Amino acid sequence: MRHTVRSTQRGRLALGALTALSLAVLTACGGDEGSGDAGGPVTVTVATFNEFGYEELIDEWNAEHDDIKIEQVKVGTWDDAKANLYTKLAAGSGLSDIEAIEGDAMPAILAESDAFADLTDPDLEGRWLDWKAAAGTDAEGRLIGYGTDIGPEGICYRADLFEKAGLPTDRAEVAGLMGTWEDYFALGEDFVAEVPDTAWYDSSGGVAQAMLNQVENPFETDDNTVAVDNAELKGVYEAITGNVDKGLSTRLAQWSDDWVASFQNDGFATMACPGWMLGVVEGNAEGVAGWDFADVFPGGGGNWGGSFLTVPAQGDNIEEATEVAAWLTAPEQQAKAFAAKGTFPSQVEALDSPEITGASNAFFNDAPVGEILANRAEAVTVQPYKGPKYSDILQAFQASLLRVDDGSQNAAESWDQFLTDVEALG
Amino acid sequence: MSRRTLVRGGEPDTPRVSPPPTPSPPTSTRPTARQRLAAWDVRFSPYLYISPFFVLFAVVGLFPLAYTAYVSLHDWSLLGGQGDFIGLQNYREVLDNPYFVKQLVNTISIFLLSSVPQIVIAVTVAAMLDTRLRGRTWWRMSVLLPFVVSPVAVAIIFGSLFGDRYGLVNELLAGIGLDAIPWHTDRFASHVAIATMVNWRWTGYNALIFLAAMQAVPRDLYESAELDGAGRVRQFLSVTLPMIRPTMVFVIITSTIGGLQIFAEPRLFDETNARNGGSDRQFGTITMLVYDFGWQLRDLGRASATAWMLFVLICVFALLNYVAIRRLGLLGGDDR
Amino acid sequence: MSRRPGFLVYGLLLAFALGSAAPLYWSFLLGSHTKQVAAQGVPPLLPGGHFLDNAQRALDTVPFWKALGNSILVSSITALSVVFFCTLAGYAFAKLRFRGRGPLLVFVVATMAVPTQLGVVPLFILMSEFGWTGSVWAVIIPWLVTAFGVFFMRQYLVDAVPDELLEAARIDGCSQIRVFWHVAAPAARPAAAILWLFTFMQVWTDFFWPLIALPHGNPTIQVALNQLQSGFFKDYSLVLAGTTLATVPLLVLFIATGRQLVSGIMQGAVKG
Repeated sequence: MRHTVRSTQRGRLALGALTALSLAVLTACGGDEGSGDAGGPVTVTVATFNEFGYEELIDEWNAEHDDIKIEQVKVGTWDDAKANLYTKLAAGSGLSDIEAIEGDAMPAILAESDAFADLTDPDLEGRWLDWKAAAGTDAEGRLIGYGTDIGPEGICYRADLFEKAGLPTDRAEVAGLMGTWEDYFALGEDFVAEVPDTAWYDSSGGVAQAMLNQVENPFETDDNTVAVDNAELKGVYEAITGNVDKGLSTRLAQWSDDWVASFQNDGFATMACPGWMLGVVEGNAEGVAGWDFADVFPGGGGNWGGSFLTVPAQGDNIEEATEVAAWLTAPEQQAKAFAAKGTFPSQVEALDSPEITGASNAFFNDAPVGEILANRAEAVTVQPYKGPKYSDILQAFQASLLRVDDGSQNAAESWDQFLTDVEALG
Repeated sequence: MSRRTLVRGGEPDTPRVSPPPTPSPPTSTRPTARQRLAAWDVRFSPYLYISPFFVLFAVVGLFPLAYTAYVSLHDWSLLGGQGDFIGLQNYREVLDNPYFVKQLVNTISIFLLSSVPQIVIAVTVAAMLDTRLRGRTWWRMSVLLPFVVSPVAVAIIFGSLFGDRYGLVNELLAGIGLDAIPWHTDRFASHVAIATMVNWRWTGYNALIFLAAMQAVPRDLYESAELDGAGRVRQFLSVTLPMIRPTMVFVIITSTIGGLQIFAEPRLFDETNARNGGSDRQFGTITMLVYDFGWQLRDLGRASATAWMLFVLICVFALLNYVAIRRLGLLGGDDR
Repeated sequence: MSRRPGFLVYGLLLAFALGSAAPLYWSFLLGSHTKQVAAQGVPPLLPGGHFLDNAQRALDTVPFWKALGNSILVSSITALSVVFFCTLAGYAFAKLRFRGRGPLLVFVVATMAVPTQLGVVPLFILMSEFGWTGSVWAVIIPWLVTAFGVFFMRQYLVDAVPDELLEAARIDGCSQIRVFWHVAAPAARPAAAILWLFTFMQVWTDFFWPLIALPHGNPTIQVALNQLQSGFFKDYSLVLAGTTLATVPLLVLFIATGRQLVSGIMQGAVKG
């Protein structure tokens, strides 16, 4: 049986396949993008995630410079950017000239900072808030990351729910009531007594993060020894787990579907809000009236989030990349980025710029958010010591709180498991 | 039903016909060049056919495996690079990890909850698709639709369905008077939710694989079975299943391998920042542990060791399945 | 065939098809409303009027068409390659006798049992060594052959190609390659069509490897769509409009291949 008819069809199919393959070879071979040949402009790639607000800045630079051109490489989330970063660090090649890194991941990077170039520059001394600059400096004093934005926290609250509970609603008045954590929680108990179906704050995790940011050595001592069984940490833990029974917490995990839905369901009345969270609240709570933003933070000040620009040592254009990174993180540029995407500057001079002082947000009852955030940034006194295991221990801690929230364990069991988890980190 | 009818090829009631006798080759003492070429062709062509595959495979398949094995024997930090040779210490550390056993059990549980229903439903759906439906093409392609949906959408949709507090399923349950189920908190419920996600995505895939095999079964076997008085179900059990045995082996083995490696669905289901499988790792799988060691704790040594231990586990399970298929003689026929 | 299905079969298949299609429809629904509605998770049953607006925004934000073209190119080539090499190898494992056949097959299948998450690091190192990162080769090469494909074709061909046909062809004087081309390949067609489709879809939906291996300006569609998720507040109406739009080519592919698949399968069933 020869199947002669079908063999012609198959012959054609084979020919088609071969053609496709050869075409592919031809196009693929010619498809590589070079990064500047001798004499041409040097292309500096900047890898970012979320929204850094750099689009117009990059156009501005590219219009004014012929020798160095900037190209932005965007990834949607920090999760993906982190996986990409770590993979290419392990592989030893493939990173962009400038890599943006999230603040929480910096301690681990700083502990093994040889993969990154030293960006120390005496001209840039004093550019950033000192706690921000310190967070980008490794143990040997090398500046590894130029600070981009920060997340100074104020308190977002539902003025309409406050009214329902008989609490004051004016921003300044509210600010007077929440100066310390005890005051904040006491106010919360008053609130839930009046409005029992609504929790006081959005999640145990958010409040925990805020409280931890005010402890000097939450997880590790200054020489990187893990010491989680300390009084302050235990204090934070007990305060938060104690609040669960009092109904102060929604008992939801931040960023979960239920948490998002709770914005629309009067799930809670207050929230620790860094600058970048304002957009999230606005989005999730669309259609809900009554949100406001108070210039206060229990315990004084807190910072959540913020990123750095680093220059991987494996790159080819370290000098040019350093120049670009310095420019992008200059006060004027960061202020413009804030105007574009709401990333609050970490540069001292930028805090006084008109973009900041004039910024207000209509969704939050026309609160002068720029001014508030600048005040909150300056109120940050304590910066927790973050050793290389900081993020890992933080995750374990958050998990332990969540276990109490969702009822899988009681507070004592969950704490013991937290201690075991930390030991197993190895 | 007589055994003869199960023999492949040829008419059911006639004995196998051997090919017509060919004239015997010329009896010369030395083989001709042509004959030598033909003999060489027979001997070496198999190696020629599999060599493109193996060459490519050696590069992109084997090298990563060897690398991973090598890494697992060293103290290897992601940022710091290769450290000292420490033999099996990584393996010991992983076994001592407080979550290892828990995630192992989770893995096996999710595997069973997903693979078993999947295979049963897939083979049933395939049998239904094997009939003279109207609009056959549409029905067959409809089972592949889950594959087209992006992971983002899957996360959103199943998150909305299985939300502990505001999820759709719990609202429906409340509507008919039942208690809400804590999908993310309760260990077994989380496995069910994840198995649902997995089954939804992969059942159609397996159904098409079965369908291809079923379509190759000669129709006359069914006819003679019907003449013998067998109903549809009996035909299915006694004709279809035995005839698709190699494919059944394939599906069971690939489902075993895939089912024990489940990674994306539990991660999507976890809404915490860590994505390790819940507040108490209720639904964390071993592959997620690999990811946790490698990309969160930045310890490639332990990650590689975990990956290889999973490999051993999968081999054990696959072997057990294979032996079970043979022993139970569920599908009759000779060994394929 | 004389087996006409009854209502029960149609009913069950309808239920199955609806279950398969519902999430796709859901994601279309979310993409057709405004972002507030989309953020609430469970959309109303009917589409809003915003799909085209959202889709347009998606097209403006990411290099959609370029990425789509890349994905089509990459997926087609790899699918073709997998089918070609794996049919050849599968045939050898199924029908040809050679030393080490059994152990080699077991070895190939066993390699599927190691999780691939870690493989990205050595693979990336390899691709860098060869200088392929930065071109589409980086995403094509790793997919040229799959252990899955070999195993699949082997299992199918074991029964689908009757030994007598092969014998007859050999006795007729065909060389091995002609035996393969004229006897085995036609019989393999239904499975080859399925393998082609599956490989196409798997390469199409692959996200992480193209993310790290391709240059920014030349992404595949999943990587491009991922950029829609930037920002702290995720605009799901935008994201899902984009992803739904990206499924259209796949649906077109389904329709085109579907007919092939049915006819191919039918041809395979006619033995003579």
